[in-house]
Parts: sequence; structure tokens; C-alpha cells
Amino acid sequence: MTINIAGRNSSKYLQNRILQDPSFGIFVLLVLAIIVMTFLEPSFATGRNVTNVINAMMTVSFLAIGMTVVLIAGGLDLSVGSTMAVTAGVAGKFIIYGMPMSVAFLCALTIGVGIGCINGLLITKLGIPDFIATLAMLGIGQGVILLWTQGVPILGYMSGAYYYIGGLNKIAGPISIPMIVVVVISVVMTIILKRSKFGLQLYAVGSSPISARNAGVNVDAIKISAYAISGLLAAIAGIHIAGRTTTIPPLIGNGYEISAIAAAVIGGASLLGGKGRMIGALIGALTLTLTRNIINLVGIKSSWQAILTGSVLIGAVLANRASSEFSRKRFRRGKT
Amino acid sequence: MEEKVGLGRDTDFSRRSLLRTSALIGAGIGAAQLLGAPPALAVGGTANASLDKAIKDIVKGRTIKVGFTPPVLSENFTQIESAAWRKMAEFEKRFGVKWVWERQAPVGDFNAVQGTLGIVQSWISRRFDAIAVCTGANFATVQDLYKTANSKGLKVFQFNQPAELYPESELATVSNIGYDNRWQSGYLAGTYLAKALGGKGKIIQIWGPSGSDWTRGRRIGFDKALAENPGIKVVGEADGGYVRDKGFTAAQDLLTKYPDVNAIYGENEEMALGASQAIDAAGLKHWDGKTGILTIGADGLISGFKKIAEGKLTATVDIGGIDQGQNLIETIFATVALGQTVTQIINNPTQVVDKSNYKWHQAYAQWALDTPRKYGK
Amino acid sequence: MKNQSKFSKMIAIDGVVILAAFVLMVIFFSLKADSFLIPDSIRYYINEAVPIFIIIVGLTFVIIAGGIDLSIGAVLGLSAGTSLTVSMWGWPFWMAVIVGVLTGLAFGLLNAVFTTIFKINDFIVTLGTLNIAAGALTVLTDQIQLTGTKDTSFKRISGMNFLGLTSSIWIALIIVVVFELVLLKSPFGRRIFATGIGQVPALISGINTQRSKFGAYLISGGLAGLGGVLLASHLNSVQSGLAGGYELTAIAGAVLGGVSLAGGRGSVWRAIVGALFLTTLNQGLLLMGVDPLIFQIVTGLCILVGVVIDRAVYKFALTFSTQTRESNSQFLRGKRFSL
Repeated sequence: MTINIAGRNSSKYLQNRILQDPSFGIFVLLVLAIIVMTFLEPSFATGRNVTNVINAMMTVSFLAIGMTVVLIAGGLDLSVGSTMAVTAGVAGKFIIYGMPMSVAFLCALTIGVGIGCINGLLITKLGIPDFIATLAMLGIGQGVILLWTQGVPILGYMSGAYYYIGGLNKIAGPISIPMIVVVVISVVMTIILKRSKFGLQLYAVGSSPISARNAGVNVDAIKISAYAISGLLAAIAGIHIAGRTTTIPPLIGNGYEISAIAAAVIGGASLLGGKGRMIGALIGALTLTLTRNIINLVGIKSSWQAILTGSVLIGAVLANRASSEFSRKRFRRGKT
Repeated sequence: MEEKVGLGRDTDFSRRSLLRTSALIGAGIGAAQLLGAPPALAVGGTANASLDKAIKDIVKGRTIKVGFTPPVLSENFTQIESAAWRKMAEFEKRFGVKWVWERQAPVGDFNAVQGTLGIVQSWISRRFDAIAVCTGANFATVQDLYKTANSKGLKVFQFNQPAELYPESELATVSNIGYDNRWQSGYLAGTYLAKALGGKGKIIQIWGPSGSDWTRGRRIGFDKALAENPGIKVVGEADGGYVRDKGFTAAQDLLTKYPDVNAIYGENEEMALGASQAIDAAGLKHWDGKTGILTIGADGLISGFKKIAEGKLTATVDIGGIDQGQNLIETIFATVALGQTVTQIINNPTQVVDKSNYKWHQAYAQWALDTPRKYGK
Repeated sequence: MKNQSKFSKMIAIDGVVILAAFVLMVIFFSLKADSFLIPDSIRYYINEAVPIFIIIVGLTFVIIAGGIDLSIGAVLGLSAGTSLTVSMWGWPFWMAVIVGVLTGLAFGLLNAVFTTIFKINDFIVTLGTLNIAAGALTVLTDQIQLTGTKDTSFKRISGMNFLGLTSSIWIALIIVVVFELVLLKSPFGRRIFATGIGQVPALISGINTQRSKFGAYLISGGLAGLGGVLLASHLNSVQSGLAGGYELTAIAGAVLGGVSLAGGRGSVWRAIVGALFLTTLNQGLLLMGVDPLIFQIVTGLCILVGVVIDRAVYKFALTFSTQTRESNSQFLRGKRFSL
């Protein structure tokens, strides 16, 4: 402790601070990749490509933010992709049934939160492991949307306003509504996580549920809220992706849970709980989206995509680990 | 060009003309129905009543149990299924045959092939009369399963399946009701595109999942068209996984790199529609007959026809889904109820659909979709 | 009091609840689906499920050791691909088997190294290797059409018949028995349990937890490789995406059978009963002609209910069994190890 205080102003402290940042390693890799790509591919660093990438990362960003909250609380949510599909279906179908857009969205958000609450209740009150509870919910959600649509994509809900929500129409220059929503949500969530009692309790529950309970935290309530937040963000992602694709195939959410977990973890969240940040979730989402963007631009055969994604995932976690190990060693050396 | 002639080779006209004594091709029925013609006409009103009666006597009101399994649930397969129901309703009325129809699709993407195998096996155990399959599963694997079915007396049919890629002698099916992916789809799209661009231009291709038979077939055809039109250069290609959002992002990335392309080929319509969206998102211009970016897909979906009407999709290859659905039922009826023999490959007419002719294709598909869901669940 | 303790003894016997549920389900389906009990159809679906039974064995080792292996499905698919490839090149069948198993072992080694030496979270590592294995299969099938080998001895690996059952079912049976014995009777098995129950007690008792976890991942990878060989031999064709999602069925089956994801509790045969429950449910619904779209909902609900009941019974047994040492040791059979 004394060392920290003594060295607070020294550059060494700052260096360590940066190196120990949970997503510093992947950040360095990202910057390197961007520099290399800028020289390699003239169309990469163009305004159009930057907006493309940012727009393409929105869906995963929403899900990764929700997933990060759940991971902080020491949980895991495999149902986000299927929740996203269900809520997209609710938004689309209800608009077709003639509801005003706002009402349809409200229903979708409510259902998203509801699914999240059910997940939370199954896990906390019935003691089902989170992996299994949310895996079952994934199947149930997918079954419901398939039955409801009979497998046929939902069409005909698009309107002028929905093109803005999907980010297909921009509001000013390259700025689209989803970008603003993502920024607002991450800022608000960061403030909640860092400054509010709820945020502290969330980290406490994730780090050590037993000590949190002993300290008087209502662990179950905190966990349920975390899943509810994840459900809410899945619903926002659902409303958004319905606008982006202008049609809702029932299996639209397939595999998104994996992307969301990968993004959150690349951004420094831990599956052991108690760790994770909003900026990390966004960095993770950017990493995944850039990987695919680079594959397409460089013209790598698309069959290589999965191999690269898997390697990026393990590589990112290794890089983050390496940078913090490195700083710890330096720190120790500085101490002696 | 020799191969192109092949598409007529296997078309089974004799069987058709028996059952469609009204000499209506499918399209005619559809159009007539939509124009508000009396139902009698739609169900073959000009058919010979004594012929219908004679067939009725053979059928003796029997029930035919049909299992229908598409590789995924999608708009395309819904259209094929609805078209089949049309024909079933017609034959029930004319010949007194009763149908039990069970549609089971594996849940997942085109790779969920283990599901298809389980479904087919369960129908074999339950002794269905006829099984209609379309699957992404490997050719050799499903043939082995079909042989098991044959040994138990079941008849297996494939629809919309690229059977043309394999030796006909190795097929264990009764018949394949489909089209030739090479010359009736990929080649058509390639030549249409080349002709519209005046034989010169840069294009982007968005393909289905690598290794799928449909992709292989259509690529053979498209490559032939490219060989005949050396002025057309493929500058970029990507995997769109047969779905719209992947087609969209792939097209978006490629359009960033090559904003000056003249055309985008989406191997299926969902991906072509995704590409069309990417053109909008990039603020580029759609093809207007002279300039802009031309988009072409393949399937013949209602949603695609709508986009053609709006000018957001230039063209698509209608793969004859409605005819496939109807011919599937005709073939099943001819073989199971009447005991006739049909050719192994029954190819249906396909056509490039653009603004000039989309209306009747759209009306035809809509006619099929308007079927009351009597045989579904 | 005596009655209660007898009852608790009974339900505390490993996996009796899931077994009872399984028997009830079989009775239900044999009444409702007329072709359910036809030997042919039973043989068929059990045969189809063999790869899942095989990977669930390795998975049980990993889960009991406190890890998780998401890569098994994709690794199984890739191993099927590599073994069929070399068989199509004309290599003898036993070389194909070795290549398939080695492919699985390689991925098992990768998982083991990253989780135990680099200490990255198991979920993330195996998610990464899942993608790498699945991608490698896509690349492989993109290069070569794996449409079947001419080598009949390769096909015979899974297709021979003994006493009415195929060789792949026999192989699965042998693996289940052998590995159950290893898990419950050998020092290695006890170390696996110790590792999963907790690092600290294991450390106190002088067990190298990392080494036992390493072993568990190797077993999981190797068995996934063997499962792949059997699948390739059975299908005689391999395509991209093969066996994708098998890991989820296996994990759900294991948990349903009472293998605890927290580690330290479970056994191979219970996991097998769990998997058998899920595959039989699928088969029964298919034969009843239920729309597969409903399957997932039914399966999801069954998993939830199953796990809740399993937990309730476990707690119940725990409460009552504290009265008698005997039943305590019975229900804790899975947990027994010497500190």
C-alpha cells in the first residue's frame, strides 16, 4: 500500500497502472493490427470502413455489455442469442399486428427482462447451475420463436423510423442511433458499476458470494438483477438487429451467445466473477468485428474464419495475461 | 452450350400430361386461380371425368403417408410445401386419395444433417409410404439410408437436391424433383449478369457455406458463364452462409474495398437481398438498366419479388419451387398409388426473373402460399 | 426414523432417480409411439448416439476434475475428417484409427496446456479450440470432398455385428466400463475427484491437481478422437459442421445424470444414463410424430426439472444420511477419497 502511495506520481506507477489494465494486451494487439492493415489495405482506414465496422459491432456490443454484467456477478448467460431472437420476433410481429412501434418495443423489452428474471430465479432460488439453466432457456427460447414463426422469416415490419433504429439510416453524418445508444448505455453502466452501491455489490457478489452474504448483501437479488440487465440488453440487441437485417429469420440469434461471451472475456471479464468493465466489452466486440472485417478485406478464404476467431480468442486472453504478468514482475523488481 | 440442352433431357412430360389432362402447365393454373376463375378450372375442370373416375377406382380412397423434410425452415421451403398442398388438395378432390402429411425439419443451420438422418429413420420405423428429402447431408450417407428405406418397401424422393452432381446409377431414390444447379441456376445468373453489363465489368460473389452441394453446382455454372464472358472479372468473394445478415456484412466489407463494382451475385436470394441492403447502407446506386450496381440472387421468394418491384434487387433465378412442390406430389401419386415408373431426374423449368416478368412469378408463388394449411400441423 | 433412513439409503444410490425417470419415459413412449420398441429402431438410435456416449465419458472426467470441455463436439468432427481422409488416401484402417485418435489427443493436449500451464479459464480455452477444430474441419472439407472410402475394413470398424449389436456399441460399452473402473477404483480416479472438490484439500493431501486435470483433458481429447473414427466409419462421409453441438447434449446429459459442474461429484454411468435419457426423449418424440420445433422446448424443460429434482434428492439424502455413516458413504460414493 505504502509503495503505491509513494509512487503515485512517478511514471513507473503510471506504467504499471497501464500494463496491469485487464485489457491492455488485446489493446496493443488491436493497435498493431490496425497499423498493419492501414499499410496493407488502402480501403481499411477509410471513413466508410470505419463506420461499417462500428455499425457491424453494435449487436455484439449490446450483448457483451449485458454478458459482462452477468460475468461480474459470477454468472454466465448462454440464453442471450435466443432471447435476442425472441424479442426481435416480438418487436417485428407486434408491429405487423398493428401496434405502435413504441408499444411493440416496450413489450420486447419487458419480455427480455422477464426472460432474464426467470434465468435469475432458476439459478438462485432453484439452485440450477447457470450453465444449465441458461442452456435450457436457450433451447426453450429458440423453440418458441421457431414454433411461432413456423420457421418462416418475419417480414413487413420495416418503416422509415425502423431504418434509423437499425442504423441503416444515419442521423448526422456517420452517426447512427445504435451508436448513441451503445455509448449512453456504456457510460451509464460504467457509472452504476463504479459509483453506485449496486455496482459495488455486484462486484462483491461475483468475487465472493459468501463474504458478500456475510456483509449483508442480498446475493440472490443482485444476481437476479444481473440476469435481468442481460435480458434487457438482449432485447435492445433484438430490436436493433431486426432493423439492421430488415427481416427476422427465427435462428437470427444462433451463436451470438458465444460471440458475447468471447467479447466480454477478451475485454477482461473473468468467468470466475468479480471482474469486467464496459470499455472492455466494447473492445472485445471491436476485436471480433475487426477480425471478420480484415478477413473479408484481405480476401482470406472464408473457411479460415473460425480458426482465426478461435485463435484470436485464446491469443487475446494470453496477451492480457502476459501484459499483467510482465507488469507484476517489473513491480516486484522495483520493490526490491 | 451442349450441356444446356441437357435440362430438357430428363423432364418427364408423359407422366405430366396424364395427370394434368387439362394440359395446364403449373403456371397456367396459378394464373387462372388468381384471376378468379372458378375452382373447377383450377382443379382440372377440363379433365376427362371418366379418366378421373377410372383412377379413383384404382386408388380406392387409400391414404398415402408422406414425410417431408427440408434442410432448414425458410421461405423457400415454405413455398415448396405450400405448392405441394395445392396439388394434394386437387388430387384428393379428383381421385379420392387421402393424405397424411408430416413436415419435420432439423433445427439449426444447413449443417444440422444428423437431425435429417434421425427424422428419415423414424419415418422408416413408422412405415411411411413416401419420404421427400432435401438435405445438406453427404450424398453417400443418405444413399445408404435410402437403401434401408427401399428394403422396407418405402419410396424415397428428393426435392431441390443437386442430384446432378453425382452419377445417376448411385442414386437410391425413386426420383429427384429439382433443377440443375449448374445450367439452370448458376449459369443463368452468370450469363444474365454478363449480358446486362455488356460483357464487361467487375463483380463480387457471395457464396453459401463452403462445401455445400448447391454452392458447388452453382459455381460450376457461373464459372462457365465467366469463361464465356472474359470481360467479367470477379474481384472479391465471401461466405454469406445462406443468411441475410451475413450476406449484408460480407457485401458491406467488400463494397468498401471495391466501391466501383458493377454487380453482386448472391448465390441464394437471402444473401442477394443482404447485398442489396449493403448498397443502400453504403449510399451507392442500384442498377437502373444502365448504371449502378446490379444484384442477382436465386430462389424466387415472395420477398425477393417485392424487392425487384421496388428496384432494389435487379433479378433472381426462380428455381421453380412451386413446380417442384406440385411435381413432387404428382410423382409420389404416380408411383405410390398408380405404380408407375418415372425417370430418376425430373428437372423443372427455371427462369431469370427481373422487372420485365416478375409479376406472374410473384402471383404464382402467392397462389401456392394462399393454400389453406389443411395438411400441415 | 428407521424407515426414513432406509428410504434415504435407497434414493441415495447413485443415479437411481434419473434411472427411474428414464424407465418411466420408456414405458410412456412404448405406450404412445407404436414403433418405439421395434429392435431395429432401438438399435438405430443407440448406434447413432454412440459418439455422444463416448465423448461424455471423457467429459465426465474433465467436469469432475473441476473443468469443462466445450471442444469435444468439434474435435470429434475433425477427427472423423482426418481419419476418413487418410483412409481415402488408401492408408490401412488401423492407421486411420491412429490418426483420428491422435487428432483428438492433440486437441486434448492443447486444452490441457492452456488450462493447466497457462492457467487460462477452461471455458475460454475450450471455446477457442472448439472454433479452431470446427474451422479446421471446414478448411479440410473445402479442400477434399470426404465422400467415402473404398476400404471396407474401415467401414467394418463400426459396422461389425456381435450378438445383435454393432461393434461401435460394443466399443462404447467397453470404454464406459473401463473408464468407470479407472474413475472409481484407481488412484488416478481418486485424484480427479480430489482435484474437483477443491484445490486446497487436494494440495494438503499432496495431490498434484494440475497433473490430474492435464490427464483428464487428454482422456477427453483422445476419446473424442476415437468417437470421431467411429462416426466416420459409420457414416462413411464427413462434412463441415459435423457433430457441432454434441458438446451441449453431452454436458446437459452429464448434469442431468448428476455430474456436478462445480466438480468433485459424479460417475461415468450416471452421465451415460443422462445422455440416454436425452437421446431416448428425442427418439420417442420423433416416433410420436411431434414437430421437432417443440423438441427443444421439451428438452429444455426436462433438463430444468431433472436438475431440480436431482438437487432436491441430493439435499434430502444429505440431511437424512448424516444419521447413518453407512448411507453417507453410499451417497457420497462419488466423493470418496482419502485426504
